[in-house]
Amino acid sequence: MRQRSHQALNVLAVLAIGLGFTFAALAPAERTQGDFAKIMFVHVPSAWLAFLAFGVTLVGGVVWLVKKSPLADRIAASSAEVGVFFTALALMTGMIWGYPVWGTFWDWGDARMMSTAIMFFVYLGYLALRRSIPDPETRAKRSAVLGIIAFVQVPLVYFSVTLFRTLHQGTTVVRPDAPIDPEFLRALMINLGAFTLVYLAFTSWRTRLARLEDELEESEALSDFDIAGSGITAPQLGEVTGDV
Amino acid sequence: MSGRAFWSQVKEIARKDLLIEGRAGEALFITIPFGAVALMLIPLAIGTDKPLLAQVGPGMFLAVALLFGMLIAFRQTAADTPPQKELLTLLGTDPAAQFVGRMAASTLLLLIFEAVLAPVTVILYNPGRIPRWPWLLLVMFLLALGLALVGTLAGSVTAGLRTRNTLTPLLVAPLSMPLLLASAQVVEALRKEASILLWITLLATMNLTIAVIGVVTARPLEESSR
Repeated sequence: MRQRSHQALNVLAVLAIGLGFTFAALAPAERTQGDFAKIMFVHVPSAWLAFLAFGVTLVGGVVWLVKKSPLADRIAASSAEVGVFFTALALMTGMIWGYPVWGTFWDWGDARMMSTAIMFFVYLGYLALRRSIPDPETRAKRSAVLGIIAFVQVPLVYFSVTLFRTLHQGTTVVRPDAPIDPEFLRALMINLGAFTLVYLAFTSWRTRLARLEDELEESEALSDFDIAGSGITAPQLGEVTGDV
Repeated sequence: MSGRAFWSQVKEIARKDLLIEGRAGEALFITIPFGAVALMLIPLAIGTDKPLLAQVGPGMFLAVALLFGMLIAFRQTAADTPPQKELLTLLGTDPAAQFVGRMAASTLLLLIFEAVLAPVTVILYNPGRIPRWPWLLLVMFLLALGLALVGTLAGSVTAGLRTRNTLTPLLVAPLSMPLLLASAQVVEALRKEASILLWITLLATMNLTIAVIGVVTARPLEESSR
């Protein structure tokens, strides 16, 4: 049953991405940037989903610290991995867009780019920490704490466009007077929905994989564990011969 | 636990860390000279153009303070050995007091580190007079405090791991970036005679947030390192 719902989520995510890309292709070209602006249909949802993913990591960590639920730890870890993927996607699409529009792949004066890159490395550190700790409980405890500290970066990235003088576009979509074409906004929202489904599919599959990994680790640990007395063999009468 | 007992434990932990540092000299006799050497290497790498060096001097000080300050914040001598941990547990030391005490000792060492490197930067880079420069003292304090907080917390997260020496810088460097950014913005704002309130608030908020997280999570982290 669970397997079937996972597969249904996958199919739904693929269909939604197809629909999102169709709407993106049909959306009007931007007045000054032309079709280059359409990369926003991938860039913006990726960035938002990265925030959501790291938020889930934070919540998962807190839940683990309070309830010691292994599922919360698995969800937190899986969400961080997917979040790192979306952050990388947002950075790459931002750079691809930046070259024709800003004239450079990387702008040192752009606070949003810089802070996003820092956030990427913070969560890479989170994943590196998890790989360094073999004991599941210690791993869960320490990564829960790091997941909480790491989340401090998220509001900094979000507000970087208002805190710093930056090339990056300021808050646009969530502004009440959003200066955005309704057709463009509709395509963006459809893509946001599609990317959310992709996030859910990735995270649920990764969580399932993490459970299987844990079970395998547990069974391997048990098979290595000798039962008390197993090192002693019963005396064999046949071995006692006339050598004595 | 009463507040008085808590602060007494904080004092003893800080004293213990400073005593160990005094004997080993890891921060004072190794990292500080290393930082000074790094400040000398940079002009050799980027060229000896005096106006350029004067321009980049404060930034280089902040970068070196951050990179080498990290080494002080999670120095090996501040890491407890298993018998030391067991002793602290048996004595009933509050993990939050351990965190605050360790952080206080690191802050003091980082302040000494900055106090030595600041005149070295002025001599080597000759950055000129920065308007309202006494504000930089507050920035140096907030930077030292922030680094000590992040370093102590990261040190607790990686305590006892085989990868501690390589993993801790990976955790501390990006987490400390907002401290570096805000400090650099203060220098920039002072040079332009603009308001620094936003950046000071950002530094203070960041420090306060990490301090709260550090105190709240001290017990689970201490339990996980047993």
